[in-house]
Amino acid sequence: MAQTHDHGDHSHPAAPMVEEISDFEILEIAVRELAIEKGLFTAEDHRKFTEWAEQIGPAGGSRLVAKAWTDPAFKARVLSDGVAACREIGIDWAEPTGQGTPSDYMELRVLEDTPTLHHVIVCTLCSCYPRPLLGHSPYWYRSPNYRRRLVRWPRQVLTEFGLVLPPEVEIRVEDSNQKCRFMVLPMRPAGTESWSEEQLAEIVTRDCMIGVALPRPDRKADDVRPVHKASRPVGGEHHEPGGSP
Amino acid sequence: MESRKTGNAPAHFNVGDLVRVKDLPNLFYSRTQMYVRGVRGTIAARTYEDLLPEDEAWNRDDAQPEQFYIVRFRQKDLWDGYPFENDTLQTELPDRWLEPAGD
Repeated sequence: MAQTHDHGDHSHPAAPMVEEISDFEILEIAVRELAIEKGLFTAEDHRKFTEWAEQIGPAGGSRLVAKAWTDPAFKARVLSDGVAACREIGIDWAEPTGQGTPSDYMELRVLEDTPTLHHVIVCTLCSCYPRPLLGHSPYWYRSPNYRRRLVRWPRQVLTEFGLVLPPEVEIRVEDSNQKCRFMVLPMRPAGTESWSEEQLAEIVTRDCMIGVALPRPDRKADDVRPVHKASRPVGGEHHEPGGSP
Repeated sequence: MESRKTGNAPAHFNVGDLVRVKDLPNLFYSRTQMYVRGVRGTIAARTYEDLLPEDEAWNRDDAQPEQFYIVRFRQKDLWDGYPFENDTLQTELPDRWLEPAGD
């Protein structure tokens, strides 16, 4: 690991390829081990909880949106009491402890997009996220880059996600800094008028409920992503894999 | 994850009220972002009543619960030279951090 690289006037050792661990992670491990030693729960309990928490995923949010799109009375309940509406589709924010998972609390506000208003969520202080509905947040949602830039330059950040909105559409950033958790209810796209709830749920991807993308009839959550050929490949012509160079 | 406090603290503001975020000192912990301090916004919603994070961080369960609000700011008010007229930002703040700004 004695490799160095130069920056002209100075050089420094290359960063070693080790996993960083934060003070808070060390604190969590210490508290967890103490709790296990004290017999509050077992290591197996902890593993089971982690396994449960990590398999949630965004499908619950997709179902909530699809039902809200097809059932105006349900949509009204979603907007007035998100936690109660979740219970109607089998998602209980109180699981598995009776009070919810740590830091998820029991306050959900669903933010409805309109033709003139687009919501996008962030947590500038940490990584607050509606986990009972959407599962764990994506890595970029927790990155300092997204957290610090979305509040200051929302349109530029959305453009980096491929979402360009006209200036007349109000962009409303929701900085989730206390106990409310937020999810975006996007607009139902044109061309889906005859679709069933199940079909609709397939196009409501995680990013649409964070607000960095819009649902489209031609893009499902489980679509195989297209392979884009380079338009100006290095060295001239593009060659098919396996073809002769 | 803690029991929600309901001390029935009197709420100081109503939806639509103009407020300004106070610039109080940070005593070790706060969830009031620096970028909203001193900025004027509008109460968009009342949320719940609970302990302040400044108290919760120290397990001060006997502290006075307060009303929390979702406050809406204009991006132009938060950031110098912000170029888009209509854009807004919302975040959540309790009574202690807000003062009337009805001018």
